[in-house]
Amino acid sequence: MSSTVLYKPLLFGMSSEKQESFLKMTILTTAAVLSFATRLFSVLRFESVIHEFDPYFNYRTTQYLAEEGFYKFHNWFDDRAWYPLGRIIGGTIYPGLMITSTVIYNSLHFINLTLEIRNICVFLAPLFSSFTTIITFLLTKELKDTRAGLIAAAMIAIVPGYISRSVAGSYDNEAIAIFCMLLTYYAWIKSVKTGSILWSAFTALAYFYMVSSWGGYVFLINLIPMHVFVLMVTGRFSHRIYVAYSTVYCIGTILSMQISFVGFQPVQTSEHMMALGVFGLCQILGGINYMRTKIVGDDFQTLFQFIIYLIGGTVIAFGTLLTITGKIAPWTGRFYTLLDPSYAKNHIPIIASVSEHQPTSWSSFYFDLHIQVFLFPVGLYFCFSKLTDANIFVILYGVTSIYFAGVMVRLMLVLAPVMCILSGIGASSMLSTYMTQYLEGSSKVPEKKLKKNESSKSMKSEIATAFVTMLTFMLISYVFHCTWVTSEAYSSPSIVLSARSHDGSQVIFDDFREAYYWLRMNTAEDARVMSWWDYGYQITAMANRTILVDNNTWNNTHISRVGQAMSSGEDEAYEIMRELDVDYVLVIFGGVVGYSSDDINKFLWMVRIGGSTEKGRHIKESDYYSPSGEFRVDKEGSKKLKNSLMYKMCYYRFGQVFSEGGKPAGYDRVRNAEIGVKNVTLHVVDEAYTTEHWLVRIYRVKDYDNRGGKMKPNKVSTYYEQ
Amino acid sequence: MILLHLFLVAITISTSFAIEVNPKIFINNAECLVDLSTQLVKGECRLSLENNDDKPVNSVLYAFEPSIKSHISYISAHQVFESNRLSLNVKPVTLSGHEDKQFYQIDFNASRPLRSKGRAPLVVEYVLINALYPHPEEITQKDRQLMMFYGNAYLYSPYKSLKSSVKFQTGTRRVEDYTNINPVSFLSSGDVVYGPFGSLEPFAYSQISIHYDNNTPFLKATKLTRSIELSHWGNVAVTDVIDLVHHGAKLKGSFSRYDYQRETNSGISSVKSFKMYLPASATSVYYRDVIGNISTSNQRTLLDSVELDIRPRFPLFGGWKTHYTIGYNVPAYEYLYNNGEDYFLKMRLIDHLYDNMIIEDVTVRIILPEGSVDLDLKTTHPIVRLPDGLHYTYLDTIGRPIIKLQMSNVVESHISDFELKYKFPKAFMFHEPLIVIVAIYILFLTVIIWVRLDFSIAKDGHSETRQRISGITSAIIHHFERRASIYSSWDEALNKLKHSKDIGTYNTASKQIQADYKNESTSINELATKLKTESTELSDKLNEVQKAEKNLKELFGQTQSLYTDKLITGKVGRNQFVELDSGLKRKKDECQEKVNQLLKSLN
Repeated sequence: MSSTVLYKPLLFGMSSEKQESFLKMTILTTAAVLSFATRLFSVLRFESVIHEFDPYFNYRTTQYLAEEGFYKFHNWFDDRAWYPLGRIIGGTIYPGLMITSTVIYNSLHFINLTLEIRNICVFLAPLFSSFTTIITFLLTKELKDTRAGLIAAAMIAIVPGYISRSVAGSYDNEAIAIFCMLLTYYAWIKSVKTGSILWSAFTALAYFYMVSSWGGYVFLINLIPMHVFVLMVTGRFSHRIYVAYSTVYCIGTILSMQISFVGFQPVQTSEHMMALGVFGLCQILGGINYMRTKIVGDDFQTLFQFIIYLIGGTVIAFGTLLTITGKIAPWTGRFYTLLDPSYAKNHIPIIASVSEHQPTSWSSFYFDLHIQVFLFPVGLYFCFSKLTDANIFVILYGVTSIYFAGVMVRLMLVLAPVMCILSGIGASSMLSTYMTQYLEGSSKVPEKKLKKNESSKSMKSEIATAFVTMLTFMLISYVFHCTWVTSEAYSSPSIVLSARSHDGSQVIFDDFREAYYWLRMNTAEDARVMSWWDYGYQITAMANRTILVDNNTWNNTHISRVGQAMSSGEDEAYEIMRELDVDYVLVIFGGVVGYSSDDINKFLWMVRIGGSTEKGRHIKESDYYSPSGEFRVDKEGSKKLKNSLMYKMCYYRFGQVFSEGGKPAGYDRVRNAEIGVKNVTLHVVDEAYTTEHWLVRIYRVKDYDNRGGKMKPNKVSTYYEQ
Repeated sequence: MILLHLFLVAITISTSFAIEVNPKIFINNAECLVDLSTQLVKGECRLSLENNDDKPVNSVLYAFEPSIKSHISYISAHQVFESNRLSLNVKPVTLSGHEDKQFYQIDFNASRPLRSKGRAPLVVEYVLINALYPHPEEITQKDRQLMMFYGNAYLYSPYKSLKSSVKFQTGTRRVEDYTNINPVSFLSSGDVVYGPFGSLEPFAYSQISIHYDNNTPFLKATKLTRSIELSHWGNVAVTDVIDLVHHGAKLKGSFSRYDYQRETNSGISSVKSFKMYLPASATSVYYRDVIGNISTSNQRTLLDSVELDIRPRFPLFGGWKTHYTIGYNVPAYEYLYNNGEDYFLKMRLIDHLYDNMIIEDVTVRIILPEGSVDLDLKTTHPIVRLPDGLHYTYLDTIGRPIIKLQMSNVVESHISDFELKYKFPKAFMFHEPLIVIVAIYILFLTVIIWVRLDFSIAKDGHSETRQRISGITSAIIHHFERRASIYSSWDEALNKLKHSKDIGTYNTASKQIQADYKNESTSINELATKLKTESTELSDKLNEVQKAEKNLKELFGQTQSLYTDKLITGKVGRNQFVELDSGLKRKKDECQEKVNQLLKSLN
């Protein structure tokens, strides 16, 4: 009899409710553990080391915070960076990340678990990814149901778009910010649903944590008002929304102003004005709703119109006045870039030069999100088909973030969670539909043979089967894709490079650390190192030496000055270097091993940025191109390029090196060209150190000649065979 | 620090009783060999002593020039009798009137004093550090490193000597210059020999200098911090933190990677790599510094040791420094012995860092397991012991005792074992596992209490009802399940009847089935009344199920009567029966399906 099919054997004799929560816990735990484990590729392949550039700064500040305590950290004036200006670290960073790790560090040490601060920093991002998995589940559960939540949690555990910024060692603000963001959203949805002050206050706290950890909080403080605004427009405004938003805005703004880097921005800058405006609108709407209950008929209409004109007029007048007087700061470059992708390219080369500020290509959407690209619209459809207050929020979140991710590749990170949520909703809704049919179909199999009358029903079941199979296949391929991407693309620490040699064994290029450690051990404690800003954070953290410019690109003129030094001829560069008290110059040169992100490939940006300020007006990008309009390092290259300090420092003595078999000496493996000048002479600097694979070259700036004359060329020319 | 310590010892000794040079002792013959080929100056003097006094002498003195005083790192003395080596006790002393010089008192074995009018051989070995000076002090990358040694052409002794010679081994044939004192000879092996000299007065001194080529590694560890962490679970973790400097001629001008890679003679005095020997049982060796793992090193396991080929991140030129950490584990059973609660640890206080090593400052921290008491340490060389401390690490509550020791100017000859006795109560072994167990237990207990008990202030009546209802419905479903199996057995019995036409067996089976059915029905009815009080909605649904169920039972009854009344008695024709039977069967199936559907909705 078929009746037995219905009563599945209970799991360990548990009731269905317990069974459900057991399954839920198992899936969730597995997803959380997986999200931690999948981020450990780099630790297993290399070592427990901090990655990239910015994380080194965060690591250094965390060390400082853990050793010196919060108040010293807060008042920290860093004289190791931006020489001679220095940088007030405490007031120019989001301290959430450092405080989080220090709290973990101190609480572990309190119970005598003596974990190194480095390891806490390395593993913080995977840890928070696990938390993100759980919070995604909770959020999606609020938006749809448990089933969708589980799928979304499983998806976000391994989505490459998020992994790219949260592998072990990627100790950056984003590592915890995504968790904070989703936590804020979860609390916000809760408070919108309940209208309780408790949840709203919790939202404000979560928002505070978010503000303290990432500059991307601006997205949040615009998205939540936008949600409220759309609710107003669609006539869904209610007391719940009023209570929730008023509480969140008031407490959240006051809290966010406690972060010294944010300061008075929430009441002064244009980016925050939407939140303020919607807050005002909330009050007006609340007031009108109240008055409507008291006043009747035409009186109300008149009053309403009067109030609208009065307030509208005042706001516009005040806004214009404040903007003109400079009380409301205009939008910063990065935000203009968000609204107009071509803005940076035309106006601010320093923003455009960063690869993560480039527009996203179509392929990278698929690369980072895989099947979610297809499931996202499905989820969106299901959200639209059953519109609620919460669903409107997720729709808004999805649509805005997909726009931002398209503008700036870095914001793929903001898109990834909502992609997972919507895909979870989509996949779960479709599975629920088809799975029921599939189950019904399969339970009736024996009877089908007897009854051939209902052919349409049998087709339905087959479609269901086909669909479930297809989705299963897609989900499985998603898992494989994510693992592959994580392992191949996102797990390189970039501080240690690895390559395959001819016999297939792994070769490790540890040149960066070799050079930084050389600087740390063998230069004067207060030596000043000039390099392009990319390497600033790494030099201060690993070499512990003073640098001129770093990745916190706050002073355009200073960076421009360095760009001018690099792109000028020796004598001119020497003057700039003496002016800036430079002792050592560090360049990255990949020509020997074929490392393509070296300084010669970045050189045009130095020229552009160098020429973007008043002092560097004479530096023109066109001078550095060959007559045929190309950027070439060989004989055809422009004279200006070949005379520039950067060119000379990179190719000094490279003319004799045989870098590749069958090619002439001085063959640059990155540009695939034989260099134009083989007997480079340097007058104003000395080679101080070059690493084993020539990746990093450090030069010592010579002191003034005794009699104030010109520098003599180095006496190495005897070695040259021309 | 150690010098100070020696000094203090010397003062205490000199104040207790005055030491004087015995003028009746003289050196019959002395041959000194001073090895200058490495960064260390290793001297070996073979003396033949004669006692002209009337009484036997128990000890003699050995002296160092004032210029060398601050360079002495190690001294030992032994005698060889019939190819048996006999080590002698050496201790530093001071002589009044000779405060600028450094004296060592060598005590003869009590059974073998220097007899009156007797002769005895004596070998003194010493090591000087920082006694070679780079000259010139700065060289370029392509230059060779030249060293200057300032010494004494004669044997320096508080006693008169009759015949002596001093041989300086440079280990190279490139000797630039040496002081000419008659008689001097330069051997083809690169050795400079002063002497043989005739009779010499005590403290004879004539400064000589040798300027020669020395490209051996001039590495000096300015600081070594060694931690030995002992675990009674079978492991000893050793960590060495080393500050290393190349103290040869400093690099002048630029460093050229091209020349360094192309020309073998370029940077000949620089140190690219060196070897370190660890105990043979060393495992999980790591080599790192403050910015991470240093990937350029190789490990080779030899028969009696583990050889580490250490390559610093960058080649060390003159004046260049580096700092690194080496760590490894060794099994405790090789070093730790116990008898009940008495433990005895015997292992090397310091170990080999590189060949011909010099370590200026050594700090050793011996970390014992938590709960160790009555520490008793013995070392062969004099050592400064700092106050003991406590160390807290994983799962510690009262802290592990640490012994802190300090030494300075240490060379390879100082490598020796220390012996440490302490008491450790066995029960303490379970201290840390118990903490873990208790912690996990508390965690689980908290979760259990949290989940099982209701902490809410307001009573959530709704969820309680829901739970009660779900209990009842699951019981009902359980009974329905049982009833379904009753149906299936009924069905079976009917089938059997259809084929065998044996009404007797059927009746007995039927009786049993009816009885079972009744039981189930009464239980369901009881539950149904309970459910009615909880939820009318579900109760209505249940009623529907019951109705459908009744229908099903009726259908079974019809089938039964069809079989018993018609089939057996043959009242119906074959075709008619089949038609009726299949009709009933279809109805039964439909009905069953309906029941199932309804039950599903009940859940």
